[in-house]
Amino acid sequence: MISLKIQNAEVFSISQIPFLEKKEFFDSLIKELDNGLRMIGFFPPDPALPQRLVAILSDSRTSFIHIIGGILDKREFESLSSRFPQVFNFECELFENYGFLPLNHPHLSPVRKENLNGNQPYAFYQIQSNEIHEVAVGPIHAGVIEPGHFRFQCHGEQVHHLEIRLGYQHRGIESLILKASPSKKILLSESIAGDTVIGHAYAHCQAVESLSETQISLRAQTIRSIAEELERTAMHISSLGGMSNDIGLAIASSSYGRLRTLVINSLAELCGSRYGRGLFVYGGVRFDFSKEILKTILSNLKTVFQDIAEIHKFLFSSVGSCVRFEKTGVVSKEKAEAMGLTGQAARSSGIGLDTRIQHPYGAYRYFPVLLNSLSSGDVFARAFLRTLEIEESMKFIFEQVDSLPEGRIKSEISSLPPDCAVVSMTEGFRGEIVHSAWTDKKGALMQYKIKDPSFNNWLGLSLAMEKTAISDFPLCNKSFDLSYAGHDL
Amino acid sequence: MQGMIYDDQRSEKVILDAIKLRILQGDPIVHNVKNAVFPKRFRGLPVIQDKDCPENCRQCLEICPNQALSLNPLTLDLGKCSLCGQCAEICPQSIIDFSNDYHLAVNKRENLFISKSIKKIAPEKASQLIKKYFGQSLKLRQVSAGGCNGCELELNALSNVNFDMGRYGVEFTASPRHADGIVITGPITRNMAKALEIAYNALPSPKIIILMGVCAISGGVFQDSKEIQRQFFETHKIDLYMPGCPTHPLTFINGLLDFFEKKE
Repeated sequence: MISLKIQNAEVFSISQIPFLEKKEFFDSLIKELDNGLRMIGFFPPDPALPQRLVAILSDSRTSFIHIIGGILDKREFESLSSRFPQVFNFECELFENYGFLPLNHPHLSPVRKENLNGNQPYAFYQIQSNEIHEVAVGPIHAGVIEPGHFRFQCHGEQVHHLEIRLGYQHRGIESLILKASPSKKILLSESIAGDTVIGHAYAHCQAVESLSETQISLRAQTIRSIAEELERTAMHISSLGGMSNDIGLAIASSSYGRLRTLVINSLAELCGSRYGRGLFVYGGVRFDFSKEILKTILSNLKTVFQDIAEIHKFLFSSVGSCVRFEKTGVVSKEKAEAMGLTGQAARSSGIGLDTRIQHPYGAYRYFPVLLNSLSSGDVFARAFLRTLEIEESMKFIFEQVDSLPEGRIKSEISSLPPDCAVVSMTEGFRGEIVHSAWTDKKGALMQYKIKDPSFNNWLGLSLAMEKTAISDFPLCNKSFDLSYAGHDL
Repeated sequence: MQGMIYDDQRSEKVILDAIKLRILQGDPIVHNVKNAVFPKRFRGLPVIQDKDCPENCRQCLEICPNQALSLNPLTLDLGKCSLCGQCAEICPQSIIDFSNDYHLAVNKRENLFISKSIKKIAPEKASQLIKKYFGQSLKLRQVSAGGCNGCELELNALSNVNFDMGRYGVEFTASPRHADGIVITGPITRNMAKALEIAYNALPSPKIIILMGVCAISGGVFQDSKEIQRQFFETHKIDLYMPGCPTHPLTFINGLLDFFEKKE
């Protein structure tokens, strides 16, 4: 096994990566995947050398990130997806964006484009039978929600296969970031997914700061983490409200809605935007806590902390909601592991993955959070886990605001070094966010790859729908609460 | 459910618990939507002071991520501005500042250009005909065409117990067939251009178009992207612009109230 081992947000020189011959490259890749590593990136780092590939793998047991480089003579290779389903989407993306053809891929499909190649319409996966009917939904759905297309193969009520086609939200963020000015880069990263503003802005700023070796004060890091936990709390409450709404429990849904308003208004007290826009800047944060602001935020959060327990109790003691939640949309641990699910969805299936714990960054290095996980893998687990994570996040915030370290909130940033790269990971409320930045010989960005947790977890939703009634789809969908924009970039 | 026993005591408890939750909820609604109290750091309507810029100073233009500013005279295009506030921070003379005023909606694109003479913006009153059609009840269909989910979250927040837009007769519908107007969010990606057109054509006439968020109004931070396609605006007239990133729920509500002269 020849690979470069680095840590989260550790800068390295591109020349440190051993670029292997094709056979050796795939042999080491297979060996690492067999060892239980998770793929978090698979792309050519240098557009001028399109034959070169890097595979980025994360090892949650050692906290190392492994980077394997390979040089391919032709832009085609034997697909790994049948053996390692977690590679599926990465291979489709490699084909779509860079023209690498994975031979014998089980179902090569477009990731963000309408068709695979040319104008030939894409053929959906179909079960041929007189008794199977097909249901097509989207891109525009019934509610105020982002667009995506769902194609069900059903036998009666039961779903046998769900294919999810996205890409409607594709705005070309990765290529826009390469040429953007610093202030625009941050705004773009905040706009990857409007519900994970802090998560993505954090990953982006951390990538640029690591590359330029900028030291961030502990105060700024703590403010960042508090904002991140506020975002996590707000969006988990939002998801719980959505799930209550989907089972028709209006009183819980409206109560969760009211509490979410308090949390996002607290973010607005800090930075002026209810979703945390404008808080992040290279070298720290733009806004500091004042006594007055802290007082407002704490009083908001105390209300949330008290009231939310009552709502949880009401929701989870209701027979009606337990009937709908339990054993619905089950994803087993084995399947979740094979598919490379991450974050909240993985933790609901008994996989203890949390970037804050396994690849700690910023304030989480000094103030660790507790890992929560449940094993049933159903809608109940995905709902109940959110209640545990909300509690943990709020405890973290209460502890941190009590002992905010002194210091400047912003430090100066220098220019980017040439021929260097970094893999920056953060834990958004859905799971692990990966930003990977690569500079050319002039020190300008030549490759910028973003992986939202939704990129892995949409396949989890497909798995959850297998042998599940189609009428449970809205509930299953909300229990994952994935981002369309984050996937489509 | 087979075998499940419903006893009277249990159902009584559920009802009591629900009432308890309702009491806990209190009265969270924003009663005074026209003069609500906002966080001090909220960035609303930009204010440009009547001062001269230092010679050759282009700092605000350079830092603006969306090319929303122009000089001679200093003008800020609210249709392009993401309200990040960095121009106000960098300005050496403090000429630009962002006020707490969240009344940002207008019905004409040119009214979004803010210069030193402009201290307040509002949509003109709708024509008698539009008022007659939509003034009482207004059903809207939303289409996200590349929206990041920021504006979508705020639109959903409009139906929660804090903002409760339903009290003004404005609601979102599932089918475009039942709608009087369309709310567009996002810069309109190439992949959504056709679906948006189909959805718009499915609305019965007469119908209105509302653009929500800076991305829909001008493309915002995505205005240079090759992946967006904004031909829709060449053939359709826009009735209301709701700037912001994302647009605040109260900006949206007030835009509609002012436009249709609805009573608060």
